[in-house]
Amino acid sequence: MAEWREYYQNEDDEVEEDEEDSGGAYKISGRDSLVFLVDASKEMFIKGEDGEPSNFDMTMQCVRSVYTSKIISSDKDLVALVFYGTEQSKNPRNSFKHVYVYHDLDSPGAKHVQDIDKLQGEKGAQLAEKTMGSGETSLGEALWCCSNLYSDIKLRLSHKRLMIFTCRDDPHVGDSAKDRQARTKAADLKETGVVIDLMHLTKPEGFDVSLFFCDIVSPPEDESELGLQTEPCRKLEDLQKRVRAKELKKRAQSRLTFSLGEGVNLAVGVYVLARTATKPPAVRLYRDTNEPVRTKTRYFHAHNGGILLPNDMKRAQVYGKKQIVMEKDEVDEIKKFDDPGLVLMGFKPMERLKLHHHIRPALFIYPEEEQISGSSCMFTTLLLKCSEKNVFALCRYIPRRNTPPRFVALVPQREELDQSQTQATPPGFRVIFLPFADDIRTVDAHVGPTASDEQVDKMKEIVHKLRFKYRSDAFENPMLQQHYRNLEALALDMLAPEPIEDLTMPKVQMMDDRLGPLVQEFKDLVYPPDYNPEGKPAAKRKPAESGGGGAEKKPKVEMSEEELKNHVEKGTLGKLTVPVLKDACRQFGIRTTGTKKQELIDALTMQFSK
Amino acid sequence: MLFLINESKSSLVLCMDVGFSMSNSEPGQEPSFEQAKKVIQKFVQRQVFAENKDEVGLVLFGTDGTKNGLAEDGQYENITVHRRLMMPDFELLEEIESKLQPGGQQADWLDALVVCMDLLQEETMGKKFERLNIVLLTDLNVQTSADQLDVIIDSLKKARITLQFFLPFPVDGEDRADGGGDGPGPSAAPVRPGKGLSRQQTQGLEMVKNIMTSLEEEDGLEEVYTFSDALQKLSIFKRIDRRPMAWPCHLTIGSSLTIRIVGYKAVTEEKVKKSWAIVEAQSHQRDDVKRETVYCLDDDNETEVQKDDTIQGFRYGSDIVPFSKVDEDQMKYKSDGKCFSVLGFTKQELVRCSPFMGSQVVKVFAARDDEHAAVALSALIRALDSLKMAAIVRYAYDRRSNPQVGAAFPCIKEKYECLLYVQLPFMEDLRQFTFPVLENNKKFKPSESQLSAVDALIDSMMLVEKDEDGESVDVFKVNHIPNPQFQRLFQCLHHRGVNPDDPLPPVEPWLKRDLERPQAVSARCQTPLQDVKTKFPLKVVVKKKEQKTSADVFDQEHAFTLTSIPCEVSHFNRRSLFQVGSVNPVRDFCTLILSLLNLHKNVSY
Repeated sequence: MAEWREYYQNEDDEVEEDEEDSGGAYKISGRDSLVFLVDASKEMFIKGEDGEPSNFDMTMQCVRSVYTSKIISSDKDLVALVFYGTEQSKNPRNSFKHVYVYHDLDSPGAKHVQDIDKLQGEKGAQLAEKTMGSGETSLGEALWCCSNLYSDIKLRLSHKRLMIFTCRDDPHVGDSAKDRQARTKAADLKETGVVIDLMHLTKPEGFDVSLFFCDIVSPPEDESELGLQTEPCRKLEDLQKRVRAKELKKRAQSRLTFSLGEGVNLAVGVYVLARTATKPPAVRLYRDTNEPVRTKTRYFHAHNGGILLPNDMKRAQVYGKKQIVMEKDEVDEIKKFDDPGLVLMGFKPMERLKLHHHIRPALFIYPEEEQISGSSCMFTTLLLKCSEKNVFALCRYIPRRNTPPRFVALVPQREELDQSQTQATPPGFRVIFLPFADDIRTVDAHVGPTASDEQVDKMKEIVHKLRFKYRSDAFENPMLQQHYRNLEALALDMLAPEPIEDLTMPKVQMMDDRLGPLVQEFKDLVYPPDYNPEGKPAAKRKPAESGGGGAEKKPKVEMSEEELKNHVEKGTLGKLTVPVLKDACRQFGIRTTGTKKQELIDALTMQFSK
Repeated sequence: MLFLINESKSSLVLCMDVGFSMSNSEPGQEPSFEQAKKVIQKFVQRQVFAENKDEVGLVLFGTDGTKNGLAEDGQYENITVHRRLMMPDFELLEEIESKLQPGGQQADWLDALVVCMDLLQEETMGKKFERLNIVLLTDLNVQTSADQLDVIIDSLKKARITLQFFLPFPVDGEDRADGGGDGPGPSAAPVRPGKGLSRQQTQGLEMVKNIMTSLEEEDGLEEVYTFSDALQKLSIFKRIDRRPMAWPCHLTIGSSLTIRIVGYKAVTEEKVKKSWAIVEAQSHQRDDVKRETVYCLDDDNETEVQKDDTIQGFRYGSDIVPFSKVDEDQMKYKSDGKCFSVLGFTKQELVRCSPFMGSQVVKVFAARDDEHAAVALSALIRALDSLKMAAIVRYAYDRRSNPQVGAAFPCIKEKYECLLYVQLPFMEDLRQFTFPVLENNKKFKPSESQLSAVDALIDSMMLVEKDEDGESVDVFKVNHIPNPQFQRLFQCLHHRGVNPDDPLPPVEPWLKRDLERPQAVSARCQTPLQDVKTKFPLKVVVKKKEQKTSADVFDQEHAFTLTSIPCEVSHFNRRSLFQVGSVNPVRDFCTLILSLLNLHKNVSY
């Protein structure tokens, strides 16, 4: 039956295709892989001053955060954790001494996270000492072992990365044979497409990359890139940032032609730098074995039971009492205006871009030299000039075949580095979606009295007291975090999930303390003594429900067939509420395609106008 | 909690002049009648296919016959109420297409207006209608008696009926200045600025101005459009736009400072509302198609299992964790109801660098008719504005929805103040990609001549132009263009509905034109673009064959080498044997063979 599934692959639902992933000619096959190669020498376990965590601890926290983020965002990626400089050895064929493969290349699960947790802190150090110990170092052996991990994987790997965490800049202490072996093995790895990064940590005399590691790591993406960061990571935050910046392979959502007109075309890659992370859909499992089951959907004729092929079916919509029928192809064709691409309309000064014209998260474009040579130069020139003249480019954007156009603003963004020389904003154009007339609602503004200078000044004091430095990665999604904690608890047979810290909750106590008497002073200025802003709400909220699911419901009012028919004839079904319409459908056993109001109305209209 | 709010409705009467002067036209121009008919058609088409619940009536004047409630003793003649207030349907669309014909008479447009008012009042009596609107489409080319004007204006005001005029010519010779922001744009092109108008038209125009300004003071004239305006910008919808739902809430700062607020969705992506149902190809019946979903195991036989024998689970990395719906609901994150709580304040520039998330912008006002709340919120808005700061807030729409973190920016307009709320990302939403340097990259460094070529191109392609008064005018306002997707869909539905057997029509030319670069800009940028073309070599790279990964090479070509090696050899030189497996197996293999030979030599000695 496999062919059936293929047949109906895109037939399943009539919902609009997923905005992302489905499009573009550019397809990735294979999985990303990442090996953490961690130094387990004594030096790594030395605690910092003032109880700062040891380098080993920092590394483990960092690895853990990568594990959990992989679980959430890309659970197909493979990750491995390997220690070198250990006393004990553990690797697939046990052919390498002083290399301890803690996790083989695998997609991380709850168990893996738990394993890492065991290695953290004082107890973790003890456990590490007991199980692995610290011993002789041979980076060459360790790299060799890692290359075997890669080659043992039967899956196709699309991106291979290896990160070395160490605080020793001269691991073999002058043993040139070992140095040479390490260089050879590193070269071999690089030749097979593995990218080697160094995450070097602090050491008292300073970490000298040029001593040894400069020959080990992969060269930067191009010669002008800053390449190797010469400053070692001191803080966990820095380390995590550096790891995160490298951990994901950047991947274009699609590659498009950007046409300036008159045949002047360049190629750009479209990237998604922010996308709302959602809870992944549930999978169905077979009760007896807990193995996942697949779903197959087929269509058959209601009367003769024959299987319906795609061309046995058409698409229809009903308006009023008229049914309008189209072929599936026609439904797609309606959405086609032009071929995919970006077409330049012109330029506008930046101040014409309105803050409140926001309908979708922005995208990002970067030139694709491999498709059209010269793109990067053209792109860079545009970027420089737009930025210099403070203008944005207005373009028509069609992301995929059979997708209607939207207009976008290409906003120049020049590269910025943060204090630790990590790229904070990449160079390229941000692609901001602009609303059409239909997307803008008419809002009747509330007009009221405005505040006096005195009142404003008091509020300024309040604002001043509560200011903080916003960072876009400062807030975790409590809903997602809770979901994954729950899964973690279930997977690891924990009694209760670890509590999450809901960062979206205001720290009321702290705010009150900081504000002190300011709030009362402000209230005295703006509110009369008898005014209670929390009073007279539109509708009193009911006391918290007793948790018994659907609490009290209004008594159902059944509608007579007569009444319904009347509504159908007059075309006034729209005046009824959705629950009433739903009840009516249920009452007369009418099948509906969905629960949208219009779909309910259509179903009822079809039924009663026959 | 669900509030069953009765959706507020709008009623609108389309009042079209079909008198004989409407059929006149200057050479090369479409008669006013045809233009006005198109406006009506497009409007009704949209109402029908967007399944708008608003009621629409149609009154024609200048008709040969007379049919209206006020006709008596030779008064209100040649005015026909073609359709009373009803939800527009396909029938109306067909009627407009086939039955809306030019008449041979002329009728007073003021009389027609009175008929429309009478119709509105009669039909909406006792019903709750939020907005009542009359749309008059006429060339004003008829003798009008102005003696009742004051009475008419008065009763329009009393009944809170609004008016829109659509004329073949602009109301003023010159363009209305652009309000900047949300206001309507300047009319397309002054067709015949005040010249060539007949005496009746000039007189009529004065009356139109009189009515509109007394109804709405200085803004009144913004509701007088030309036919071409209407076609391009769907101005007709403005008056009966459904207002977004109010979201009353409390803005809180700490535990004891609370301000009563109301939020409205101000900008959000409008999607096609109706989905396509699947019908059987021959019968066109939906009931003839049955859809069946089966569950099967992932084994060779694809063994089917019953739905009841399946349970819900979630992936946690490599694990799949069974997690029933009941447990999930029990354990999931619960927010404690709607809120708009300030977490702190931060510099606007810090927020502007962050990506914006979600699909909407919410405008936040103080609660209506609460002047204390208005003052308190105003203090916050003005404080933020002068400090160039924004509030970071936790926002939850209601008890069932997940909380967001977002920014509230101050927004101070001439007529009102509000906060603009937009969602900000969570850590999980971000992807930190690093891109190679562009600017200081020698390979891509543009030359001076390249820089100046692009400079000239940008100058020639500016979409903002200075008008005679030195005011800059935006010639390509995206927020005034209706989404072409809807227009195209409605056009095809309409066409297929009327001609079920015809192929779909091509995209209407004006719709295509809307999506093109403005002609003036196209002309202007010709030369600079040619210059850019010669200065930037851009070549399509011929796709090379996909690079082979080492695994591919190895698997296909040299896999056999390993197996063919005697095992005692691997014992002897294990390292080099392993090396064959990696990068250059051929070379490695040769080395291995050589060493083998050496070995044999050694042995034989």
